[in-house]
Amino acid sequence: MRQEFKGLGASRGSALGRARVRLPHALEVAEEHIPESQVEAERARLQRAIDTVRTEMHALRQRLHGALAHEIGEFLDLHALLLDDPELLQGLDTLIRTGRYTADYALRLQRDRIAAVFAGMDDPYLRSRIDDIDQVVGRIHAALHSRENGASGVAGEILITDNVAPAELAQLQAQGVVAIVTAAGSTLSHSAILARSLHLPLVVGMPGVLLRVNDGDALVVDGGSGLVVVEPGPQDLRAHRGREREYIRERKELHRLRREPTRTVDGIDINLYANAESREDVAEAHALGATGIGLYRTEFLFLQRAELPDEEEQFRAYRDVVLGMSGRPVTIRTLDLGADKADRTGLVLRDEPNPALGLRGVRLSLARSALLETQLRALLRASGYGPLRILVPMVTSREEIREVRSQMKRIARELRTQGHEIADHVPLGAMIEVPAAAIALPGFIGSIDFLSIGTNDLVQYLLAADRNNEALSDLYTPLHPAVLRLLRDVIRLAHARRKPVAMCGEMAGDALYAPLLLALGLTEFSLHPGTLLELRRVIRECDLTALRGRLPLLMRARDRAGIEAWIESHRPNA
Amino acid sequence: MIERELTVSNRLGLHARATAKLVQLLSAYRSTTTLTAKGREVNAKSIMGVMLLAAGQGTQVKLRCEGEDEAATVEAVCALFERRFDEDS
Repeated sequence: MRQEFKGLGASRGSALGRARVRLPHALEVAEEHIPESQVEAERARLQRAIDTVRTEMHALRQRLHGALAHEIGEFLDLHALLLDDPELLQGLDTLIRTGRYTADYALRLQRDRIAAVFAGMDDPYLRSRIDDIDQVVGRIHAALHSRENGASGVAGEILITDNVAPAELAQLQAQGVVAIVTAAGSTLSHSAILARSLHLPLVVGMPGVLLRVNDGDALVVDGGSGLVVVEPGPQDLRAHRGREREYIRERKELHRLRREPTRTVDGIDINLYANAESREDVAEAHALGATGIGLYRTEFLFLQRAELPDEEEQFRAYRDVVLGMSGRPVTIRTLDLGADKADRTGLVLRDEPNPALGLRGVRLSLARSALLETQLRALLRASGYGPLRILVPMVTSREEIREVRSQMKRIARELRTQGHEIADHVPLGAMIEVPAAAIALPGFIGSIDFLSIGTNDLVQYLLAADRNNEALSDLYTPLHPAVLRLLRDVIRLAHARRKPVAMCGEMAGDALYAPLLLALGLTEFSLHPGTLLELRRVIRECDLTALRGRLPLLMRARDRAGIEAWIESHRPNA
Repeated sequence: MIERELTVSNRLGLHARATAKLVQLLSAYRSTTTLTAKGREVNAKSIMGVMLLAAGQGTQVKLRCEGEDEAATVEAVCALFERRFDEDS
């Protein structure tokens, strides 16, 4: 009988498929023994399942790209190592050979034994790492079953589960899962962000879905509206096909948007810059009609090599970016290294007690003045080839920016004396990514020509929540009243003082945040070229005047739930 | 055979990512390597084994290496512990 449920649409797209219900700790396997004669076959079956998972994970690793690729990649590597783990494999082997258990039950027993040890750990973070084991065990289990049924994985199925981890998503998609529905979760979680970048339909926040949907039920899922229909009728199927056609039309439309302006419904032009770190990024940004490059990272010149890049090499790299954008402005960030990035040049101190609070960004550049001098010389020389701006990371005080500017002036004089043609004025900007810089901005905004807000670090420092610590993933969010207040104040002050202000953190690249950022006054976004057209599409559906009028309501939100509710009610296409 | 006393000084302890680094590092060496903490001895080449030590920050562990490249192995492991597993902040 047809039934319909409503959750929160977290990643758009329409899907039709059979439900695969994954109960929490999905290893509900009955104890089963096999005769001695089957032991070898069972061991081989387990080995095949492990090999399948390994191949899948390897293929997946190659396909990852975008904002969370680095983080997700680390977990995939870790899970791949677990597949080769001698303790795990020996334990399973012993259970099958001497206990004569099925591979499924051996897997369950081994998982439970490990879980018991984890459960006894004092450290809550270490204790929570049973999740990594569970994910790997779950994958092997799934592979065992797809072999058994002779089916090709879970292709065409819709996964119904309690919650889904970011690291699993790409894997599930590669296995052929066409949509995911979760009981818990938020439209603004890491998983939701990743699902959107993978174009995998996702509906979250449907408590009770595990009880209401059965394995094998036919489902239609609309990741846009959050509608889930069980045993759909002809009308639902028509609606699904309509949405599919709409989606294909949209992809075409998106492609067409390359040549269109980023203009709101009420006629205000918004600047979309691209974040870039390679020639390919620059070419793509150019082709997509980006306003310019808003953040060009220079770390790649320094990482993964044993010697420092010299002035000529840096100059050529920066000049090519400037030339590649044919006259559109290019913002290049000075070296942003710190002990959190692995380098072989020996630039970074290894024994800092707390690298996030250590010698990084502009601090490192100022401590190693020869390094800064070489980079500034290369940048200023490149300024002779087109509009170039210099952005300084990790600024906390007026003195740091003044020091960089005075070096710039001196180097510019030297370069001119040496006969180099350089721009008359090269704007110098500061990344606002430390709360001190945001709060003390009135005192030093006069010393800078432009600002770029780096939300990844700003959120981490403002909320004292390490963004790489999964135990804090709920705390690390830009949707905190303190973050919104600070963003509003920085943007407002910049506008009052007529200084261009952009945002280049991940927050700027997710279309769901666009109405909120527009309401806060932001008119310059810098984001990965891969999401540029999607943001353009959403902004073209936003009414800036109306959104600004709704700012007081947003600022009255007292917690994350209040802010999410505001975003939910201002979603374009909702 | 070489033995060394080491302290887990990275902030999150021997959690999955740090353990993965250790196991990846050891895959290049042939020595048999174990870690002992809180009375439990585990194969240091097993990510699962090392995680089961539940060695949080400040835990003392004993490293034991045996094999033709034991000196180099010990040196590499000690360096990794000293670098706090290159952990992000």
